[in-house]
Amino acid sequence: MPGKKLLGSQVKHLLSGVSDHGIQHLAEVETDLVQTALLLNEAIEKLGASFIAIHAAVTAQQETIEQLLSGQAPAVDYAAKLKAVQGEIGHHANAAVTGLQFQDLTSQLIDRTVRRVTGLREFLGTLGSGGAGMLEDSDSEQVTQLLSRINEVLAAQNVQLNGVLRKVVKQHHMGSGDIELF
Amino acid sequence: MAKTVLAVDDSSSLRQMVAFSLKAAGYHVIEAVDGQDGLEKARNQTVDLVLTDQNMPRMDGLSLIKLLRGMANYQKVPILMLTTESGDEMKAQGRAAGANGWLVKPFDPQRLIEVVKKVIG
Repeated sequence: MPGKKLLGSQVKHLLSGVSDHGIQHLAEVETDLVQTALLLNEAIEKLGASFIAIHAAVTAQQETIEQLLSGQAPAVDYAAKLKAVQGEIGHHANAAVTGLQFQDLTSQLIDRTVRRVTGLREFLGTLGSGGAGMLEDSDSEQVTQLLSRINEVLAAQNVQLNGVLRKVVKQHHMGSGDIELF
Repeated sequence: MAKTVLAVDDSSSLRQMVAFSLKAAGYHVIEAVDGQDGLEKARNQTVDLVLTDQNMPRMDGLSLIKLLRGMANYQKVPILMLTTESGDEMKAQGRAAGANGWLVKPFDPQRLIEVVKKVIG
């Protein structure tokens, strides 16, 4: 009877480990993918708006230059206009630079996702190779020992995976971050 | 003569954006792909400011700062972190390692230039 109890305990441990491990990592994958989608959407909106605004400003700049060349008004009037348009272009270019940083943020999230998926694949591989070591005529003591070894390997893989993952990217928006001088 | 900024980041797009912003403001920018590369470039050149990411392959930002602060010619060179990390604990580690400031990504070019100007002129 104690042998059966031990076997039951190892099976229970294995099943709960598979469940907890799978749920935890898939939940993290889901969160990271949702966050990636949010950042990408916001980045493309920001970049699209900057592109349209820069195009409009460049068109206005071109019109002003044409008017200047045709001598329709004193050059001094156009100078201020051109300076204002230049400032506007700079403002929109800055917004585009902030938006373009999406690649850095999303690549970190994708890297985490890939590592978790790889970790899950290795986890399932361990279950498969561990199960293969179980023979039809294995007695309960042998099965208990095998399950115990599988549980140990899975626990080690879980710790290893959490160790190699990058820190969480907390940004949910493409707005500029805080600055602190020490 | 233009002041030199060493920009250390494993993201090529981020390095490109930093270089684009700072060059437009008149700074000379040297790029490094990770902490190890940053350390080698800092050894071989005179730098007025180091701007580094935290999470990078081979060597992270905090390790880079500690090694730079151990070099005689980098004890007083300003070092700013530019990272996705924003936790107080991480900032405290940065400060203890010798960082002079912490900028959270994504950065606004105008604000970055203002900070760099404030730190190195």
